[in-house]
Amino acid sequence: MTVEEQVREIVARITRVDKSIITRHSTFKEIKADSLDIVQALVAVEETFGIEIPDEEAQKFQNFGDFVSYVEKQVAQKGKA
Amino acid sequence: MSLEGKLALITGSGRGIGRAIALKLASQGADIVVNYFRHRESAEQTAKDIEALGTKVEVIRANVGDPAKIDEMFDTIRSKFGRLDILISNAASGVGRPIAEIDAKAWEWTMDINARALLLCAQRAAKLMGEKGGKIVSISSLGSRFALPSYTIVGVSKAAVEALTRYLAIELAPLNICVNAVAASAVETEALKFYFKEGLMKDVRQATPAGRMVVPEDVASVVAFLCSEEAFMIRGQTIIIDGGTSVGLFALPGKGGQ
Repeated sequence: MTVEEQVREIVARITRVDKSIITRHSTFKEIKADSLDIVQALVAVEETFGIEIPDEEAQKFQNFGDFVSYVEKQVAQKGKA
Repeated sequence: MSLEGKLALITGSGRGIGRAIALKLASQGADIVVNYFRHRESAEQTAKDIEALGTKVEVIRANVGDPAKIDEMFDTIRSKFGRLDILISNAASGVGRPIAEIDAKAWEWTMDINARALLLCAQRAAKLMGEKGGKIVSISSLGSRFALPSYTIVGVSKAAVEALTRYLAIELAPLNICVNAVAASAVETEALKFYFKEGLMKDVRQATPAGRMVVPEDVASVVAFLCSEEAFMIRGQTIIIDGGTSVGLFALPGKGGQ
């Protein structure tokens, strides 16, 4: 599974929406993710990939695509380290 | 009061009340373990400010809502320092919702971080405190005993914190560990500004007989006192820090008193 697919699975599980409706352009509002859902998704993604997503960064995410791009970047950096 | 040579863990000490407590204890000579979860930059800044005070500091990231992460944090403290003298259970989270909108997930999230973490941290801390004992202070809020709008889950979790503080005070007394809590009214922090609009802040100021809002340093001073030997005979208490708000409700202008 790609990073994007894994993140989508996590977000779908936490928000209890069908993963097929989550696209890179989906906003958290469209996914019906409230603030607790978002924090829980961040925590689950951090643990899955062994990365850290500080709130300062998470607050910049406009949509699911921004979230995935950040995770992809962190995972790639971790791979190089 | 001197805390020279003591090691203090303050959960959630990157920002707000936790940061103020960390700086206060450091200013009295304590070495500090800064715990944070979501705000790394703030935690690193707090650590720098503690170092500038001339004491040692260790930063540990851990979600205290997760028992495994609490274990990892205490394993790190045990391997690096071999002991702990002071635990301040401060980290808190919450979901501000009216009762009709509270679900099991929001309840568990809040209770795990605010209430269960005190139990699990106190258990681990007690084992690291040794023969000389130590101090545990938990951070509650006035919402434990007064009903505030959309504050139900946090208020209930804080009531649990206060009850647990009493039980810990009794059970840990033979180990020479003093356990107490502090409960503040609305404290002027970034977290509060995030949740409250300025209008509400003004209401809180007006409802405080002492004439201003409680600031983190007010809480830190009382916590530092509870960590001192002078407070040795205070056990299982919750000290209210609210500038008189809760005892002066009927004496406020416009509330029928004046």
